[in-house]
Amino acid sequence: MARCTIAPMSSGAPLAASYEALRPRILQRLLDLRSTLDPSLGRLDDPTARAQISAVLDHLGNFIATGDLGLHRAFLHTFMAMRAAEAQSPASVLAMLVAIGDTAAQVAQDEGAGTTEGAALTLLLTRVTASTARAVNDLIADELGRRLAQWTEMQNTEREGRR
Amino acid sequence: MTTKPPSLGVRVAGDTNVGKVRTTNEDSMILDPIRGLFVVLDGMGGANAGDIASQMARDAIAEFVLHRRSTMPMPALLEQAIQTGSATVFAAAQANRERHGMGTTCVAALMVDPTHVLIGHVGDSRAYLLRGGRLQMLTRDHTIVEELVDRGLLSPEDAERHPYKNVLSRNLGARSETRVDIVEVELKPGDRLLLCSDGLYGYASAEGIQYILGSGDEPEHVARDLIDLALRGGGGDNVTTIVLEAPAAAPSSTQIVRTNGAGAWWQRRQRFLHVAKERGLPKNPIVRGLDPNEALELVALNLCQAIYHDLEKSTGVNVWTFAQTLAGGWFERGGEWAPLRGMMDILGESSRVVVDEIRTLDSQLGFLLDVAVSRALVVAELALGGLLAERLRQVDSDLIMLHTAAQETIEGSIDELLDTGDTGDRFIDRPTIPFLRPDRQVTNSGESAEVINAIEKTLTIARARTVPRAELVKQILSSLEAIATDGAGSFATSVLAARDLYGVRTVDDNGIMPLFDALDQARILTASSVHQIQASDITRARALRAISAAHQRLVGAATGLVLEAAAPFSDKLREAQVKTSEMRDQVAKAERKRAELERRFATNVDASLPWGSRGNTEW
Repeated sequence: MARCTIAPMSSGAPLAASYEALRPRILQRLLDLRSTLDPSLGRLDDPTARAQISAVLDHLGNFIATGDLGLHRAFLHTFMAMRAAEAQSPASVLAMLVAIGDTAAQVAQDEGAGTTEGAALTLLLTRVTASTARAVNDLIADELGRRLAQWTEMQNTEREGRR
Repeated sequence: MTTKPPSLGVRVAGDTNVGKVRTTNEDSMILDPIRGLFVVLDGMGGANAGDIASQMARDAIAEFVLHRRSTMPMPALLEQAIQTGSATVFAAAQANRERHGMGTTCVAALMVDPTHVLIGHVGDSRAYLLRGGRLQMLTRDHTIVEELVDRGLLSPEDAERHPYKNVLSRNLGARSETRVDIVEVELKPGDRLLLCSDGLYGYASAEGIQYILGSGDEPEHVARDLIDLALRGGGGDNVTTIVLEAPAAAPSSTQIVRTNGAGAWWQRRQRFLHVAKERGLPKNPIVRGLDPNEALELVALNLCQAIYHDLEKSTGVNVWTFAQTLAGGWFERGGEWAPLRGMMDILGESSRVVVDEIRTLDSQLGFLLDVAVSRALVVAELALGGLLAERLRQVDSDLIMLHTAAQETIEGSIDELLDTGDTGDRFIDRPTIPFLRPDRQVTNSGESAEVINAIEKTLTIARARTVPRAELVKQILSSLEAIATDGAGSFATSVLAARDLYGVRTVDDNGIMPLFDALDQARILTASSVHQIQASDITRARALRAISAAHQRLVGAATGLVLEAAAPFSDKLREAQVKTSEMRDQVAKAERKRAELERRFATNVDASLPWGSRGNTEW
């Protein structure tokens, strides 16, 4: 269920090219700062960190270009499942995604200081981060709902067993 | 280089605290903006000599700079001032047997001019530079192990486990002369310099230090907040901080938001409330039963105020607290996610309307506010995500309990039916919840408050003795504290702690040994740290027993996780072994058949050969 309702992102497509041009610098900044940005990023070795961050940055580029919240949510679902398989908690995945989004916005602000395009990209990336955080929370809430249902079912079974 | 006292223009503040474990503060500092001299000293030597050493060195350095500033080049001035401090402490130690061996570390910043500073350094007190949001360490600890690594005699990995990793190779007072490292740093507008004793970085993460140093708060607040951070991290040592900020060239976007932005936002609070009301905030189930105006004040006005304070201070703490309070209360009442996200949507839309109105009046300010307010709302989402994840963890934990109870019931029934005392199964043969294995109940430690206190102190000291980068060992020590002091006595604490550790150090190409090495290091550290706490022998013994039991539980749970992770591969291996065995049988059969054929063939051929016997090649 795609439920993201954070403000619609207009003019995403024209800014996609600006984002693509900036992406190597964003990746480099993230690799430089990863241990201080987020502990879970800091614990990864260089190739793994590069692969994980690149995957998120690639996807952000797609999202900026298409604005497709369904695809965005599907990507986040897969990303969280993969991180969960590596025993990363949902809260740390959320923190990592927000740290990546924040840094991307910061780089856009630094590199595009004083330009209209820089300002627009900064704002867009900030809103994408908000949208990502909301989508991740929706996914955690869905998972919580499933576990609560399982818990209720097990409790009922236990009560019946006692009888 | 100038020898004239600089017109600094920098802002500087310092603070010190005895910490939570020590009874005396052996740290000292110099804060002299007029001469541009800022120093942190961390004394050592026992028998009350540590504080004397650091104070003696402090006075000697301050006096030297006061009298020689106008007569010497700056690098030589700083180096000789520190040398004088060392000579003074050494002489005092030689003159008094009780003070023999006393010494002190020293990290000093001497301003050359508003854009240049010299850092002089001996020991393991540190200087950090925050530039562009990034924290860099300007000094390298003078420890025996670091020197061995520098000379290539020890690998960085071995250094972390070395018994002398905390032993200083240089200090002021060990000899009359010492080697001083001097570096010059060019300050850029907005740079922040931090001088600190090991009581800060030993108890606070680099991320935490970076966050507070980069908060944009006044240096005096930052210096105090850093100390609070170390105290929250255990406060096992004296802690001293000096924060120095270079003057900013022009108002940064952060400053604009903090001044004009925060004011403009707060002026429009009524508009914010109005929009929130229009969008239906008072009808949200979270505020059901409240008067609409009361609901607006309770939620919308509080968030508006939290955003205002966060804009003013460039932090996210107020919005974080708001979101946690709102969601925490709602979840405690059994509330669901949907109304909460609906509420956050209304608040987000209201803030956007307000920011858009500001943008029509001042586009630059409107843009900066838009980014800042959007970030504030991301902080709110982070807080909500943390609560949701915590709830998820709790439900996991409850599921373990239920699962354990169900398992015991089933096993009990089987025992009754089969009349066997022990089913003898291994946990990998039983159905489990992934990565959570409740295989046995443990008795509560049931320790007294005195023993619990001893456990906490032991583990605080152990954490302090851990090398800064050994995060895994630190986390293990924290887990041991949680398990050893767990009042519930449930095995779930150990399982959850092990799962967290597994998250830090999963099985990868390096295998599982780094995880178990870290567990072993933690055990060694706690065993030696327990002797450093002030307590009776009985209390110490009980604390050690409780920690050892916790360690055993943690290792057991971690082993369980590893086995569980390896279970699918074990099954595959067993299957492969069966197939191999079958194939071996087939090969044996084939070999027997071949031998039989060879025998027959050889018999037939031998009869026709001229040399009479098979295998004889002589003609």
